[in-house]
Amino acid sequence: MMPSLPIWQFDLPLLVLVVLFAVVALSIRNLMGAAIVFGAYSFMMCLIWAGMGAVDVAFTEAAVGAGVSTVFIVSTIYNTSATMKRRPGGMAFKLFIGVVVTVAGGFLLSALPDFPDWGDPNSPVNATVAPYYITHSIPDTHVPNLVTSVLADYRGFDTLLETVVVFIACIGIYSILRIEPARTSIDETDEEIAAPASYDPTDSLIVRQASRFMVPFMQLFALYVIAHGHYSPGGGFQGGVILGASLILLAVSFDLKFLLSRWREKSLMLLVATGVGLYAAVGLACLFMGGNFLDYGTLDAVLPGKQDMARSHGILLVEIGVGITVMFSMLAIHINLASNGRLERGL
Amino acid sequence: MLLALLRAVKGPTVIDRLVAINVIGTKSIVLLLFAGILFGQLEMFVDIALGYGLLNYIVSIAASRYYQHRRCLEPEPPAGREAQS
Repeated sequence: MMPSLPIWQFDLPLLVLVVLFAVVALSIRNLMGAAIVFGAYSFMMCLIWAGMGAVDVAFTEAAVGAGVSTVFIVSTIYNTSATMKRRPGGMAFKLFIGVVVTVAGGFLLSALPDFPDWGDPNSPVNATVAPYYITHSIPDTHVPNLVTSVLADYRGFDTLLETVVVFIACIGIYSILRIEPARTSIDETDEEIAAPASYDPTDSLIVRQASRFMVPFMQLFALYVIAHGHYSPGGGFQGGVILGASLILLAVSFDLKFLLSRWREKSLMLLVATGVGLYAAVGLACLFMGGNFLDYGTLDAVLPGKQDMARSHGILLVEIGVGITVMFSMLAIHINLASNGRLERGL
Repeated sequence: MLLALLRAVKGPTVIDRLVAINVIGTKSIVLLLFAGILFGQLEMFVDIALGYGLLNYIVSIAASRYYQHRRCLEPEPPAGREAQS
């Protein structure tokens, strides 16, 4: 499981590159370039997670950090501006910020020796809960991928609240950006992003056909990621992001109208809520069956198999709920960011 | 990869940037698979690389779509960009 290489051969160059990318991404004036460097930064982080053996986190970083968030940043830049204005002066303020950051960083660095060593078997994490998960995961839940069983079963409350956070983020972006078209018909900002007059919708035939070809495979892969999360890296979050990204691909390569003719806005938001609802409903069902909230073992009366298999199926149900929420929140966030809340045309 | 990144950041023309994004994405997939061989868990890294490749495709298309729209909006990019900011 662990790499046989010493830390400096793999991690040190990566860490240096991460710091380099972070500095570059902050110092570039063209924000489009910064977005691209940010994507590369995410990829380096992905490699570092992978190097630590945290393949699920690496997968999430590759899907969210390098993929969808870059699209979000690009569509935000599209609706604002690609160049950054530096405010002149304010030297004292900058100096103040510099001092604060240095002092805070110094405090953090001074706490560094108190941390246990990397991979130390006697560190609190490795000594208390981790052995329990490692020895109990298979007999309890039949899930070989410990991350999935910890995420959705032992720590089910955390994941439920994480899903709620995604839901709230979606609602927040929705309520900030969404503008009803009727109210903005005399808005002067309409000219800002007008439809380009010389834009010929048929000029991207290759892109359209390629996307049309890609989308089913993406969705199939995403379903595999969700359903196979018990055995390989992946799960509701990653699969949901890829599912949402397949719809974003449709929105980007065709246009928003095409996508919104397939998915009504209302049903989209309803589905965002359905995912969280499914998660909570599974928890409540456990409550009704006489167990604790999110104690899937009590579902063995309705789900096939014994108690351990019921927990495995409960995890699957919960992951599907997470996947639905994440998928449609990604889509809702994208269509609002890309079209500046008007849902008419955009990136 | 660093050279491609340099091109993406400096890139005098839009085409430079777009090709650079694509090159970075493609090289990243290969690097991920190499890391998989290094750690002896190739079957897991194939999943990650697939997901990365699929999403990178979207990023490329979104970026090119961005430049396409911007180009049409502003016939002369340098002047137009400055005026907009």
